[in-house]
Amino acid sequence: MHPRPVLAVIAVVLGAFSYSAAMAQSSARTPKAASAFADFNERVKQYSQLQKAVPRLRSTNNPKELEDRRHALAQKIQELRMNAKQGDMFTPQVAAEIRRVILKTMRSPKASKIRKTIQQGEPQPDWKLTINGEYPERLPLTTMPPTLLRHLPELPKDMAYGLVGHDFVLQDTEARLVVDYIPGALP
Amino acid sequence: MRTTPRLSLALLAALTFQAAEAQNVTLPMKDGSVRFAAIGDMGTGEPPQMEVARQMQQYYGKFAFSFVIMLGDNIYGGKSAAEMRRKFDVPYKPFMDAGVLFYAALGNHDDTNQRFYKPFNMGGERYYSYKKGNAQFFALDSNYMDPKQLSWLEKELSSSKSDWKICYFHHPLYSSAAFHGSSTELRGILEPLFQKYGVQVVFAGHEHIYERVKPQKGIVYFTEGASGQLRRGDLRKTEMTAQGFDQDQSFLLVEISGDDMFYQTVSRTGNTVDSGSIHRNAQASAATTN
Repeated sequence: MHPRPVLAVIAVVLGAFSYSAAMAQSSARTPKAASAFADFNERVKQYSQLQKAVPRLRSTNNPKELEDRRHALAQKIQELRMNAKQGDMFTPQVAAEIRRVILKTMRSPKASKIRKTIQQGEPQPDWKLTINGEYPERLPLTTMPPTLLRHLPELPKDMAYGLVGHDFVLQDTEARLVVDYIPGALP
Repeated sequence: MRTTPRLSLALLAALTFQAAEAQNVTLPMKDGSVRFAAIGDMGTGEPPQMEVARQMQQYYGKFAFSFVIMLGDNIYGGKSAAEMRRKFDVPYKPFMDAGVLFYAALGNHDDTNQRFYKPFNMGGERYYSYKKGNAQFFALDSNYMDPKQLSWLEKELSSSKSDWKICYFHHPLYSSAAFHGSSTELRGILEPLFQKYGVQVVFAGHEHIYERVKPQKGIVYFTEGASGQLRRGDLRKTEMTAQGFDQDQSFLLVEISGDDMFYQTVSRTGNTVDSGSIHRNAQASAATTN
């Protein structure tokens, strides 16, 4: 084996090692990150209480019922969060930690695969997000990179993270509403 | 895992639509077999989707499958009640009337609320599992493969006692299509689980073509994302392609009997574009699950 390929192999191994170490560290979370994410989880919990204002969806043969319930839920939440603004869920501390996680992930050796995952969702870069606004039904769902999801706080099953252009979004998937977003979080 | 292609026809004649009668069913139609169809990326509400559904009916007359797996992008564009009816209820009503069940996986053009739509049999979940004969099916949500879903999958796979373990979801782990290609990040996460717990076959959609990939690490991958949509000429056959078809819409018919799975891929015009069988290596499957 020539020295150059050997060096390349060593670099890849070291890169992978430092990446694993970095990720292990991020999984362990610094006290600052742990505190920010604990605060975020609390806010998500409070949001979930709002969703209880309208009876939960049940399986139905009638698609009209699905449509009506989604409208009713969206309307109710829009009323209850009338004064909601960007940063209510993703406070500056939470946003900073999420940006750090995204940056670390996007600088890892897996970055090109992760970008490809995002492209799989056929992202629409020009969509303008509005807090409490509806996530348009014609807009494809984000294909969220599993590697990124591993390092973010877990959400209840009717909420999801998404990416629209470079913005990182928190969605209410049952009401199909934009709950909050971090502008320009994706490098 | 052994695959035996029995017929490989790339039918250019399929470019011209003819309302052909169902041709020969190549499946063995054995007593007590598990019979199903697979469709993906179909929910357009446009004429090709209706024509594929009509062709499925022709074949149903000869090969009465009891359920259909849906590989995502079940409802494109508008999701109102009227749109749901136009893009699902209308084309597949004859099957539902005949008692055929549909089991959906979510695609990137779907709304997660579809999990509450009873005819999709998702039981209100984004991902779920069910058994049919000696096979267990795992419908996954590849849009959002979070740790919770991965833990669930590992638990379900590890406790499965079924001979056949079949996973399906929207994004293909292996694909020779030019538009998206393989979902390599997802592959890195799912493939080790599939290997560890003896998954034999995986179905996906997303790419608007049909492709059967040569066994990868012992697993056979099918992409069927052309049951309504079509990206004609998008398949760039590679070394991993066993068979592919990108000249017309298509659907899959599958039969499981004992240790054998038989498949037949049919075009919108009724021509068979791929068929063959997969033999389950019982010893290898047992070894991987022990």
